[in-house]
Amino acid sequence: MAHDEVKHDFHLVNPSPWPLLGSFSVIVTALGGVTFMKGLFGLEAGTWWLLAIGLSMVIWVMFGWWREVIKEGRVGDHTPVVQIGLRYGMILFIASEIMFFVGWFWSFFEFAIFESARVGETWDSANALYADGLSRFAGWPPVGVETFDPFHLPLINTLILLLSGTTVTWAHHALQHNDRSGAKLGLVFTVLLGMVFTLLQAYEYSHAAFTYDGTLYGSAFFMATGFHGAHVVIGTIFLAICLIRLLMGGMSADKHLGFEFAAWYWHFVDVVWLFLFAFVYVVPFLVYGG
Amino acid sequence: MPMDEVAIDHHDAHDHKPGFFTRWLFSTNHKDIGTLYLIFALIAGVVGYTLSGLIRWELAEPGIGVMTQFVAGEGDVAIQNAKHFYNTVITYHGLIMIFFMVMPALIGGFGNWFVPLMIGAPDMAFPRMNNISFWLTVAAFVLACISMTVPGGPGNGFGGGWVLYPPLSSTTGHPGPAMDVLILALHTAGIASILGAINFIVTILNMRAPGMTMHKMPLFAWGVLITAVLLLLSLPVLAAALTMLLTDRNFGSQFFSPAGGGDPVMFQHLFWFFGHPEVYIMILPAFGIISHIVSTFSKKPIFGYLGMAYAMVSIGVIGFVVWAHHMYTVGMDVDLKAYFVAATMVIAVPTGIKIFSWIATMWGGSIDFKVPMLWAIGFIFLFTVGGVTGVVLANAGIDHALHDTYYVVAHFHYVLSLGAVFGLFAGWYYWFEKMFGIKYNGVIGGLHFWLMFIGSNVLFFPQHFLGLQGMPRRYIDYADGFATWHMWSSIGYAITLVATLIFFVGLVEAMIRRRKGEANPWGEGATTLEWTLPSPPPFHQFNELPHVTNKGGH
Amino acid sequence: MRHLLAALCAAVMASPALAFVPQDGALGFQPAATRIAERIHVFHHFVLIIIVLITLLVLGLLLWIIMRHNRKANPVPKKFSHNTLIEVIWTVVPALILVAIASQSFPNLYYQDVVPNLQQITDKSDKLIADGKTAQQERFAKDYYPEAAEKGFVNVKAQGNQWNWTYTYPDLVDDSGYPLEFVSNPVHVGISADADNYAGATGRTDFASKPRNLGVDYPMVIPEDRFVRYYTAAADVIHSWAVPAFGVKTDAVPGRLNEGWFLVEEPGVYYGQCSELCGVNHAFMPIEVRVVSQAQFDSWAEFMLAGDYEAAYATVDVFASNEQATQFAAKQ
Repeated sequence: MAHDEVKHDFHLVNPSPWPLLGSFSVIVTALGGVTFMKGLFGLEAGTWWLLAIGLSMVIWVMFGWWREVIKEGRVGDHTPVVQIGLRYGMILFIASEIMFFVGWFWSFFEFAIFESARVGETWDSANALYADGLSRFAGWPPVGVETFDPFHLPLINTLILLLSGTTVTWAHHALQHNDRSGAKLGLVFTVLLGMVFTLLQAYEYSHAAFTYDGTLYGSAFFMATGFHGAHVVIGTIFLAICLIRLLMGGMSADKHLGFEFAAWYWHFVDVVWLFLFAFVYVVPFLVYGG
Repeated sequence: MPMDEVAIDHHDAHDHKPGFFTRWLFSTNHKDIGTLYLIFALIAGVVGYTLSGLIRWELAEPGIGVMTQFVAGEGDVAIQNAKHFYNTVITYHGLIMIFFMVMPALIGGFGNWFVPLMIGAPDMAFPRMNNISFWLTVAAFVLACISMTVPGGPGNGFGGGWVLYPPLSSTTGHPGPAMDVLILALHTAGIASILGAINFIVTILNMRAPGMTMHKMPLFAWGVLITAVLLLLSLPVLAAALTMLLTDRNFGSQFFSPAGGGDPVMFQHLFWFFGHPEVYIMILPAFGIISHIVSTFSKKPIFGYLGMAYAMVSIGVIGFVVWAHHMYTVGMDVDLKAYFVAATMVIAVPTGIKIFSWIATMWGGSIDFKVPMLWAIGFIFLFTVGGVTGVVLANAGIDHALHDTYYVVAHFHYVLSLGAVFGLFAGWYYWFEKMFGIKYNGVIGGLHFWLMFIGSNVLFFPQHFLGLQGMPRRYIDYADGFATWHMWSSIGYAITLVATLIFFVGLVEAMIRRRKGEANPWGEGATTLEWTLPSPPPFHQFNELPHVTNKGGH
Repeated sequence: MRHLLAALCAAVMASPALAFVPQDGALGFQPAATRIAERIHVFHHFVLIIIVLITLLVLGLLLWIIMRHNRKANPVPKKFSHNTLIEVIWTVVPALILVAIASQSFPNLYYQDVVPNLQQITDKSDKLIADGKTAQQERFAKDYYPEAAEKGFVNVKAQGNQWNWTYTYPDLVDDSGYPLEFVSNPVHVGISADADNYAGATGRTDFASKPRNLGVDYPMVIPEDRFVRYYTAAADVIHSWAVPAFGVKTDAVPGRLNEGWFLVEEPGVYYGQCSELCGVNHAFMPIEVRVVSQAQFDSWAEFMLAGDYEAAYATVDVFASNEQATQFAAKQ
């Protein structure tokens, strides 16, 4: 490369095999997924090994790719202007994630608000429902569905996530003040709280009185909370990797983009939960149980 | 344009290009990736165009004929198979043209090539991510092609239209794995586009050369910026809808299943919340290209630069709140329809601003009718035709009669096939020399334009008449009263086929002759930064960033 | 050119015909059979004039520029890039044009889309007559048919199936209380055995009178000059019930009951086709509506309820003889 003559601070990345490998592993994963679900190319439904190969390849690519990114950061490729770009990038990624959740909330609201119209005689009766506020949720959850009491486990989970939001901020401030042991401690708490949240959520799922398949309420509930749960897991892993990097002596007081991004991501997951808690747990419960 | 005063140093004489495989498979160079996108779009375009050829061949005369030759069985069995085959052909024609031809060419190809050059950046913000955007698009295309050949339901492939409405796309209509593969193909294409969108937005926000403010930025970069924002915000909603469809099909969820209390129309809302911005995603980069060409060959600055930029912004913003005008007949409340009528018609205002500003840019100019300018003028006129029929269709009152008829087919092909694709060819001829460093033959290019102009009008204009008479879309066979205009439409296709062959002749001719390209073949009118570089530009340009000063103003 | 001339003649001379089928080479709508379609046509022509003028304006400007502002005619380009006045004009004028279109659009939309309240129609018409506002009453009557309003609705439900339509008349019930319900199958599905299948299933000899891909074995029948309220539903996937001559198109969505209305003044045979992709035989599930006199309708209903479908069909056979049917077929 003509790096020796470069007179700007932008990062010209060296050619890399990861994108091509990544795309190949996506094909394998997709075909593996369909094979697992439906059976394909003469393989019977339930054949899992193709999917497993694909997913391991995806994880391998992620590992290799991001290891390269961390290395580049360490050798100084991430100049201030590149750091600004990376920050923009992360913000935009989170923005697209928010729109992803808009999809789940949209369907949940449509199902909740128009449930009685849909099961009623004509669509027109939906108009009558505009009349008074919360009764729009009337008929949701559908008759016979026993929902969770939001003020037991879900409330505890809310507090756990909010607490984890403060511990991650603690870790961040500690790191900014070069208090590495404080940062590690804060992160350890955050990761633990994230894991507790996931465990409690799994516990709650296992006691659900409704299922994902066969019921609309179950579909909407599990899809929204399940995707949130998946994001909690991803965020926890992200934070755990930051913790590992901290323990291995990586990151510094003035340069720790990976940590910042993990924290942003964690706050995003946190805020999504607040919306889920309010609209998926509390409001239907108030209308239905109150 | 504002970049008429550019201080630049050509220090990039040493071009250390990597070896062939490293360069093209592992690329982190925006120009190479742009070229890869263009080659990919050409290949996918040939596939999509062949599918449309099958459609026109079949519809040339009444009865089911041509399609039976491509399916198993004989006699009535072949006819039954042909009906499904036809449905898959129209479905994949739409999907391939949108996701694997227009988008990769305009955004991936020209966007990658010229956004960094125009804003004075050495490369894209995330060059390695840029490459996975490309390879994921290829992966999505591979998956889509696989989905065509695996069992769908009544036959191989998915035959439910590019809009994928359930229950036809759920297990009720297509129980086989073809639809599942297709969903994952679209997920993959979506991820590729979202990553690409992030890349473009960051590049444009963060990597403009010193002195290049947003209000001095070339309009093509504006077009791509708005396109990228639309992609970023609309594609995840499609991803959500597709995921719900996937779990409906495989894990028993009930989102779109009426039997379980779900609602198929919900999918249409989610789909069109993506689908409507998607049509602007396809046209906004073309708007940018046309602006540059019109300015270059009129040798005049763009008229009303800020109006042009903010017209695109408002088209993008309004584009998010008009989606249900694709759904006037699903049984929406009448007040809701009235809202969507009003919101939709508002888009005509910024679109009108663009058309008239292009005309005003040419007014008083000293126009040189080079090949790109022919395409640009053709674009302006044909996009106007497609735009005004859009105003007709925006009125729910008329749309009740024209929804899902050939009038709609004619409308969206005028804005896409004669709009986006004309913009694409305009860009191709405008930047061909810059990208590949060789000159094309202007006579062949002109012939390509004129045949394409005549052919595509003969192809699509009669479809307005068919639609008004009530010819529904997606029909393999039609009532005899539709025969004449269908025949003309197919004749039009044959003319475009000749035009397309001439396009490839021109490409091959240029590659064989290898006439050396100039840095700026268009003269004083070409004022954007890419013309300050040699043709083709060095492997890494702007190692010393250009400084943009504003002497000329706009 | 010959085709174009023929098409122009057909478009000009299109007169209310016995049957409403697509005309070869036609340039515009099928003749309107309802006030809804009539109003759509008037509104469409209004918009059409506007858009043609706009397109011609753009074309004219482009041609003018091509002739006058090219390299030879104008070697030195001007340098202007702003003119606030003209920019304001081309923003405001299109906006005003859109307002003009909208002022036509909304009344039309609400007219088509809202199933009228028949009691209100009668009351309003009576009041207008009582107040001596005859001109106003006539205008009102043109849209809302007070005389028909007094007779109430004819209710029909069209259910889309893969690939035929099931029609239900909830108000026509048999002795055991079941409403009249029958399946309307396509005559043509594109295969060689179509004619034999039709003759075999119905015992009829009028295959030739069934326009290709439009005819059905048992058409939907409605009386002339009556308000028809139709509902659409679907059994499997989404279909769309559409009759171009009526100007109506309503999707038949599983899990929903959509509704619409129309009133046909002229008896005749009207054809439509499924307008939402519904699978393999999407092109082969046509809609045939026969509009007949009230007396014919009543006797049709009687035969249908008695289960004698062929006798019922004979009562709504608008063709007096096979010869007439063949003539009609030849005319298409």
